[in-house]
Amino acid sequence: MTDSLAPDLVPATRNALSLLLLSMADDEFVIGFSDSEWTGIAPMLEEDVAMSSIAQDELGHAQALYRLLAEVVDDGRDADAIAYDRPVEGYYHARLLDHPRGDWADTIARRYLYDTADGIRLDALAESSFAPLRELVAKIRREERYHLMHVSAWLERLASARGEPRERLLLALDRLAPDAGTVLSPLPNDLSLVMAGIIDSSFDELDARWRVEVGRVFERLGLSMVLPVADPLTARTNHSDAFRWLHGEFTAVRREQPGATW
Amino acid sequence: MTAEPQLEEWEVFRQEKEGDAMKHGGSVMAPDAELAVHYARELFGRRQESIRLWVVRRADIHDLSDPDLLQPPLDRSFKKPGGYVMRDKLAAAREQSGASKPKGNAG
Repeated sequence: MTDSLAPDLVPATRNALSLLLLSMADDEFVIGFSDSEWTGIAPMLEEDVAMSSIAQDELGHAQALYRLLAEVVDDGRDADAIAYDRPVEGYYHARLLDHPRGDWADTIARRYLYDTADGIRLDALAESSFAPLRELVAKIRREERYHLMHVSAWLERLASARGEPRERLLLALDRLAPDAGTVLSPLPNDLSLVMAGIIDSSFDELDARWRVEVGRVFERLGLSMVLPVADPLTARTNHSDAFRWLHGEFTAVRREQPGATW
Repeated sequence: MTAEPQLEEWEVFRQEKEGDAMKHGGSVMAPDAELAVHYARELFGRRQESIRLWVVRRADIHDLSDPDLLQPPLDRSFKKPGGYVMRDKLAAAREQSGASKPKGNAG
């Protein structure tokens, strides 16, 4: 393939599209790897299988998004090179996902805050003018539906249980709340994506939609949470030590055997 | 402290393709029906091997395994249709109606 995808886009819009794809791919990649840390130690066997399978789904979504990104950027890097060959500072996931896996309540709270935001982002891409993304999003949404059902079931149970489960959930939400708004924090030049019909609304509007949705559920469950609006300049930078460690883990094989395939 | 969640067994039945009978796939442990369905999906459906699942609380299944009722000791072969030879009658009926013998496994 010699022509890159989306040749009609002006460079500024193409850059914005690349950042959108990179942010989505890195989000899925990081939460996928982070949640896969539960494999073998989840609270019960059935949940172990469920969480591992969901983590695997996210890595699949990341792979598809990195592939699409590689075609749009067209700079000679393939999906694996983009996924594994960047330094910590080069990753563009939301800071919400910088928090460590923590205990089960941390994982459920993080996943709930992320999956609701991601769902709203995917909804806004369902009618995208960029056909390859629209087609991919149609597939991803069908899997994310189940992820949201699964995490909502857990959120309800932790929130409704008396004693330790609810206490742990409240502590987790306290830890995560300051960074919850980073997923839908505006990307640079996101309005050019709206103008080009790639996404149906600005990130400011998506963030507002997300707050309504999450606010309704939190109110029903008696979780009074303040979710501050994130600063777009730092929403996807200055990654944490927990991410530094995770990065060391998920790049280990690649660093040991550069270019290895299996 | 919180009481441990009460887990119980749920039996999972699966259908592989439209028209197939539901077959027992196995069981999962879960505290309630909603999570039981999620876990059934993970264990018996995540590789696209099923088009439908039924999840039943094991306690809701009425078990019958009494040998006096199911395997009575006296000869009951007269209750089976094996004693009747149909082949000649069928052949005669086919000849009469002009129909040919069905191919393959049918019949």
